[in-house]
Amino acid sequence: MEQEFRIEDRMDGGRSVITVVGEIDVATAPQLRESLHGVIAQGQATVVLDLLGVTFLDSTALGVLVGGLKRCRELGGELYIVVTDARLRKIFEITGLNKVFPIVDALAEVGAP
Amino acid sequence: MIGEPEAVGTETLGDGDRVVLTFPARGDLVVLARLVASAISARVGFDIEELEDLRLAVGELCLLALQGSDARHGDLQLEFTISGEALDISCTLGGAAPQSGSRDEDRNAADELSEQILYALVDEHGREQEDGSVRAWLRKRRKGPLA
Repeated sequence: MEQEFRIEDRMDGGRSVITVVGEIDVATAPQLRESLHGVIAQGQATVVLDLLGVTFLDSTALGVLVGGLKRCRELGGELYIVVTDARLRKIFEITGLNKVFPIVDALAEVGAP
Repeated sequence: MIGEPEAVGTETLGDGDRVVLTFPARGDLVVLARLVASAISARVGFDIEELEDLRLAVGELCLLALQGSDARHGDLQLEFTISGEALDISCTLGGAAPQSGSRDEDRNAADELSEQILYALVDEHGREQEDGSVRAWLRKRRKGPLA
């Protein structure tokens, strides 16, 4: 019943990519926050967050993303979200965050730094 | 003679039925609330999109009840009540002290987003505080009559 939750970060073509698998909610969002803040603290102003393996996210997760976006933009960068799942996209839409984040269907759509 | 096996998951919940779930108010257990919400929504006759909406909304309801509380010692009681026209869900946090210290910035943003999610997904929702307990509630009506 317990779903796997996993976060990995890597450099891909000069871009910092964080991949998340599983459900991001009040229990797991702190791990995402730690990973995101850690990558930004290493000097990566632009981060790509790959949510293709995410099956659920709640307001806690969105709060972490908003916090991460602020940090990226303060450094002159951006936080890209890679997501295709219609349910997840709907959550971005009903909160208006689809107009705040650059949301793409695939990692390849994010230009080289 | 062996009869036909009974189909699993076809039992329904109908007018007047009530389900109560109580669990320690821990973030890692909010998943239980979502699982129960999915199971009940299916048995009440909501379609798959409504079911997914309710799964998300119930998680947000738990967060709304926990808002501003130090819930380490409290319990969350989730109550599902089915009526002819709607599913009513309340989430009550009892026994938790107000949160001490400052809240992180992400959580403040999340509280606003939680409100927006509930506003979009359910017909009515609210939060009340009384005698040391917090109660968040929602109502989801169906397009057609419930099961």
